[in-house]
Amino acid sequence: MNHVVAVGDMKTGCRDDMIVTHALGSCLGLMVYDPAAQVGGLLHAMLPLSKINLQKASENPFMFVDTGVPELFRQLYELGGQKSRMVIKVAGCGQPLGNSEMFKIGERNYTILKKLLWKNNIMIEAEDVGGVASRTVYFDLSTGQVTISSKGVKKEL
Amino acid sequence: MNQNELKLILEDVKSFPSMPAAALKLLTLLKDENTTNAQIEQILRYEPGLTANILKLTNSAYFGLPTKIGSVRQAVLMIGWKKLTQIVLASCVSAIVDKPVQGYDLSAGELWRHSVAVSVASEILVKELKLPVSDEVFTAALLHDVGKMVLGRYVKEDIAVIDGEDMQDMPFEQVERSMFGIDHAEIGANILKRWLFPPGMISAVRWHHDPDAAPKSNHMIDVVHVADVLCLMSGLGIGREGLQYRPSPAACERIGMNEQHLEKVVSQTLQWANDLAASLQADS
Repeated sequence: MNHVVAVGDMKTGCRDDMIVTHALGSCLGLMVYDPAAQVGGLLHAMLPLSKINLQKASENPFMFVDTGVPELFRQLYELGGQKSRMVIKVAGCGQPLGNSEMFKIGERNYTILKKLLWKNNIMIEAEDVGGVASRTVYFDLSTGQVTISSKGVKKEL
Repeated sequence: MNQNELKLILEDVKSFPSMPAAALKLLTLLKDENTTNAQIEQILRYEPGLTANILKLTNSAYFGLPTKIGSVRQAVLMIGWKKLTQIVLASCVSAIVDKPVQGYDLSAGELWRHSVAVSVASEILVKELKLPVSDEVFTAALLHDVGKMVLGRYVKEDIAVIDGEDMQDMPFEQVERSMFGIDHAEIGANILKRWLFPPGMISAVRWHHDPDAAPKSNHMIDVVHVADVLCLMSGLGIGREGLQYRPSPAACERIGMNEQHLEKVVSQTLQWANDLAASLQADS
């Protein structure tokens, strides 16, 4: 089955599922996969920290990296995933041209993710982050394969 | 740069669809503080298409009114004529910008969704930063990218050159200018001029990627500029060119925006934009 993950959302699935998310700009795309259990999830989070809007965070934890990432792992554990087997891939976290600190939401998203993973002893397997690209991610849960498409060009991550 | 192409582009601007006459009349009334509800009703009464849309929108979940509205008169009383005029204009705009846009690779409805998101983000910015900006900002934001509807075909034709290595560090509106001698912002401004729209809105569209170059800078231009970048970053209607635009730190300074405002606005925009885009779509 095909699942599409909208901005500020997360979907999990297993075996024959394909999870897709479109239009990653500065948002974080996080793909987590347990090859033994064949379960995985894709998070499309907009902003680094939930403290900026706690009400929104309680309505929808997937809008923020600091609330979305733990919830993604929690749901995968429920589906039989185990932390020690998880394969982590990251996409998105882009930023516009220029060097304005204010607009580095992508970089801030990435920093918070790294902190969370580091605290939990989890490594990133592969990533395609930064730059001005708009990215679409295809996450195949039968194999864990992640394909990134940008400007009509597809590449495997 | 190809002179012949520029000529063709300007021809396309001339044959671009016009706005319904009633929309323009409403826009003029919106600027006038002395406008009465009766005047608004008068215009809308003879536009059956607009009236049907107004009733559909007023009764949509977006306004969450407790009773069903059956006439334009009731609608004006319930939501006020300013808001009503905005949504009427929005439904006119939706009919124009909901088509797919080639070159920028926006599928049907995506430019519309982006336009609504930028309008919503602009309104939130104005409120959050307490800026003295007129209600026109909503409609200006809704139309800021209308030029892409014309330029898309040409972008597609020259995509191999545009994708070239030497173009990648240049803001995309400059890429357009170097290719065609005009960019989508200037084309949009030309379209609004032909529609006889107010000068403030025309310049907000004209300078939305380069607010520092405007002959006279103002908050409306700066707000639309910032809202546009934020929506692209959030992936709301982001096209093939991605984030290949340069936000202006000076514009942020002029409107007094900091990092916290920026993230707060992003967090509020998404849901409003989704609700509004769905309920404003013409004849859906």
